[in-house]
Amino acid sequence: MKKPLPHALLLLCFALLSHSVQAAAPDPTALLQAALHQWRGDSSYTELTMVIHRPDWQRRSSLVAWTEGKSESLVRFTAPPGDAGNATLKHGPDLWLYNPKLGQIIKLPFSMMAQGWAGSDFSYNDLAKTDQIVTDYAHVLGPTGESDGHTVYTVDCTPKPDAPVVWGKVTLRIRDDDVLLGETWFAQDMKPVRRLETLQVAPLGGRAYPVKMRMSVLDKPGHWTELTTTKGRFDLKLEGYLFTLSNLRNPRSWSAP
Amino acid sequence: MIELAWRNLWRQPRRTLLTLAVIALAGAVTVFLLALQVGSYATMKSNTLRIFDGYAQVQGPGYLNDPVMRRAFGRPDRLATAIQDIPGVGTAAPRAATYALVSLGPHSVGAYVVGVAPQAEKRVSSIPRSIHSGRYLQPGDSPEVVIGQALARNLGVKVGDRITLLGTARDGSVAADALTVRGIFASGVSTLDRQLVEMPLSRFQADFAMPGMVNLLALSGNSLSRVQAALPEVRRIVAPEHLVVRSWGELEPGLEAAIRLDASTSMLWYASLVIVVVILLLNTLLMSVLERTREFGVLLALGMRPDAAAGMVWIELLLLLTLGLSGGIVLSSGLVAWYGTHGLALPGASGVFAQWGLPSRMYPQLSAFSLLTGPAAIAAATAAAGVIPYLRIRRLQPVTAMKAA
Repeated sequence: MKKPLPHALLLLCFALLSHSVQAAAPDPTALLQAALHQWRGDSSYTELTMVIHRPDWQRRSSLVAWTEGKSESLVRFTAPPGDAGNATLKHGPDLWLYNPKLGQIIKLPFSMMAQGWAGSDFSYNDLAKTDQIVTDYAHVLGPTGESDGHTVYTVDCTPKPDAPVVWGKVTLRIRDDDVLLGETWFAQDMKPVRRLETLQVAPLGGRAYPVKMRMSVLDKPGHWTELTTTKGRFDLKLEGYLFTLSNLRNPRSWSAP
Repeated sequence: MIELAWRNLWRQPRRTLLTLAVIALAGAVTVFLLALQVGSYATMKSNTLRIFDGYAQVQGPGYLNDPVMRRAFGRPDRLATAIQDIPGVGTAAPRAATYALVSLGPHSVGAYVVGVAPQAEKRVSSIPRSIHSGRYLQPGDSPEVVIGQALARNLGVKVGDRITLLGTARDGSVAADALTVRGIFASGVSTLDRQLVEMPLSRFQADFAMPGMVNLLALSGNSLSRVQAALPEVRRIVAPEHLVVRSWGELEPGLEAAIRLDASTSMLWYASLVIVVVILLLNTLLMSVLERTREFGVLLALGMRPDAAAGMVWIELLLLLTLGLSGGIVLSSGLVAWYGTHGLALPGASGVFAQWGLPSRMYPQLSAFSLLTGPAAIAAATAAAGVIPYLRIRRLQPVTAMKAA
């Protein structure tokens, strides 16, 4: 004869069980959205330095960037002198460049979005921080790990059947406080091609932020680009004129409020 | 013995003439087809290479597989002068190249931008001659370009328009320039017409921060084979600069593979043709041996040794081959000479040929190789097959042979 389990204990079991299930398996799509939001906010202003590294040379430049929502962004070089003034505007689906030497705005063809930006290993897509990874991919939670006392989730993203995507798979590692720790892009044959790694997480603009990130081209040793965010403000009110062609051509002076 | 064999041949003039005709025709066909093939390969190679690549190139070590602007080298003029002194090499044209964005108004297209020395370029590439509107670059030109026809169409560019060029310079900085379109070319090769932009080398070097440097030297000369023969010498000159020489096959691996595939499939055809001819001749020969069994019996009874009789028949065969094949060679040389100057037009071929930069007419080429390979194969195979009647005659017994029908 079996002894019936007390009701209270049974309830406790259920509660524990459901809680642990929740903790072990968060929604992968929600994780991605949270990580993207952590990275760019509703709007953002950041100051960055970029190091492009090649086996035989390396180059450092400085830039400032504004983003708003998922589709607006403006990136402007401030140094070195030869590059200062060059700017990239993403407005809706369109991408524009401004070059001060030419004094001209150039509209980039859509196909250029996946190409390297300003000679770096980041593509325009990477830089614009689009949410293509959320909309064009199906997400599955992968193995969970541990880092610096944080739980780290892995999300495997496979492109949806008709998505305009060249990758076979993209894998992201996201910390439980929504900081993006890494992203690996796989070719159609599932060979890893490029890898983004967060080298340093630090508080920035009132949030935990991946302040130092490195993009490596995996089949070319010694080819990488490092972006270090030195200053950041998030969820601030940005004026509408920022993301216009006239501001791209004739930048109005702007200082973080 | 040869006189005897010769006399034997003309005792059956009709059969001999027919056999000769077969041999001559077979010989002529192999010579003509081979000449046609060699000729079209030569045209394919030189036409493809003369459009843009050159007959060979001097490059930095990894440039072939990873053609990035950074793999550049200095002092191209000194090298070019040294290379041009080698007999067989006509010109070594310096070039610098990269991919960049070319735009006019709202239209932007990725393009392959090449800095060229206009004078040298004219001797290496046919693009300066394929200008379809405007003119080619001249020495002294600076902020000016010539662009491919399809590229011009995609951008909506006319001669005289100013286009902008945007890319990454060799030091990683932003490279930008505004350039006037001087000419639009139609090379006939779609990738070039869709992608290629040529600008003066000095302007390129200034725009892309590579003063005095180039990515390659494109070589040309009177003929591909002479340049090919000069390559070891070129290699010797550029080796101390840590540069390498790329032959045409490395520059156009697709072309080399196409030629090799075509050559190996046609070898199968030639082999079957030779086999058919040999079987035909062997048949005639055996028939004649059977017919002449009595004659051989008499010869043997008169005291001729069996291998001498057999050898006589073999000599008859060799005489037939010599006569027939010489006739074939003469016949086909005439044909090749005629078509070599007038060209052979093949209906429907122009589309296929255009992708290799070929004209729609084919020009067969006479050489020792095309002239002798086919006939030599026929001669060798037939002479070897002649062993069969030879053995047959050697086994004959005088009495039984004389009694034969």
